[in-house]
Amino acid sequence: MKIEVHTLIGEDCITLDDGQKVHDLILPELKAGRPVELDFQGVGVFASPFFNAAFGQLLRDLPGDDLNRLIKVTNLNPVGMSVLRRVIENSKKYFSDPKYRRIVNKVLDEQAANA
Amino acid sequence: MSFARRVLSVPTINDDPPDFDRLFRLWSQVNDDSLDVEFNFTSCRFLQQNAVSFLGGLARLIEYRGGRATFNWDTLRDNIRTNLIQNGFMACFGARRGPWSGNSIPYQEYPTRNKDSIMAYLKGKWLGRGWVSISPALRDAIVGTVWEIYENAFEHSSSSVGVFCCGQHYPQLHLLKLCVLDFGVGIPSNVRLFSKKETISAAATLRWAFRPGTTTKPNGMGRGMGLDLLKEFVKVNQGELEIFSHEGYGQIKEGRERYVDRHTFFEGTVLNITFKCDESYYHLASEAQEDKLF
Repeated sequence: MKIEVHTLIGEDCITLDDGQKVHDLILPELKAGRPVELDFQGVGVFASPFFNAAFGQLLRDLPGDDLNRLIKVTNLNPVGMSVLRRVIENSKKYFSDPKYRRIVNKVLDEQAANA
Repeated sequence: MSFARRVLSVPTINDDPPDFDRLFRLWSQVNDDSLDVEFNFTSCRFLQQNAVSFLGGLARLIEYRGGRATFNWDTLRDNIRTNLIQNGFMACFGARRGPWSGNSIPYQEYPTRNKDSIMAYLKGKWLGRGWVSISPALRDAIVGTVWEIYENAFEHSSSSVGVFCCGQHYPQLHLLKLCVLDFGVGIPSNVRLFSKKETISAAATLRWAFRPGTTTKPNGMGRGMGLDLLKEFVKVNQGELEIFSHEGYGQIKEGRERYVDRHTFFEGTVLNITFKCDESYYHLASEAQEDKLF
């Protein structure tokens, strides 16, 4: 499957809802082991809610190795790529480590102690 | 039905922390229901973008609470009048004047999340009018970053009157300023409720909110990257970000972050940002440089 993101979403990939649209399209393909190409030609603006919904939550259903093998991202500009990578890094921690939430929240305890 | 009338004198307001204190003092004087308020500008020599967005939001808050907000336009100095006509503020509050294009970035209010309208503002009226000499790539990078602020405000603030913004372009300094604010419950309130730590300082909650992966609205996916991305972009851009929420104050400047508690309180959240219109600084460093995404 090849998705032209500009055709599906438009020139701004910024909202959770739009990310969910992409996610809902590609998840069945990925679960079936079929490759997916996402072409971002013509998309200029990116924000984390879109990538969280479109890509980040895939890690809940499929291992990272499978996603690396099956997903091809093309024509994503450098800013979009850097946002995507940071979102995925965060999602990897969130889904791989059940204690992550607790660890993040522990920061509050430390700050409370130091306040 | 209105029960009381109050005249508030608007002082001169720049955008240093004491200026925000002056704005918060105005807010603290209009917290009664059904209060009619007149804003008088006799003592005001200058208003920056933070004051314009704050006064607009304050007027809507007064109206939401059943009162009436009026601006005594006759007390405006000429320079302020010109600015408020130019940025559309006076037209927004019934003065039938302006706006026109200049270095002011229009005052805008968004009662609800409206992606198309916000993006049209950011791309068209803020950055896209040709007077900001930046590439489309830098423009898009800034717009995406600023969207994170709006998204954060709409998702977390529970603001009954929405989100307010105004900006200013400083061509000689190659700077863009934008102030985005809401009159919601504030970041400290959300973080304390979420963490069940009622005694934690407002400054500590802001520090927590700017860490990657922290969110008070978990919904089954990794979230909480918006403020972290904003922070990183401001650092890379060598800009400046200031945030005020409750007593908390955060500043990101020259690559450093600091969070402190201050003596004034404002229940909502104010973000005041300065971007450099400099093509050299807008690529976020990626933590993972290898080809694999996941």
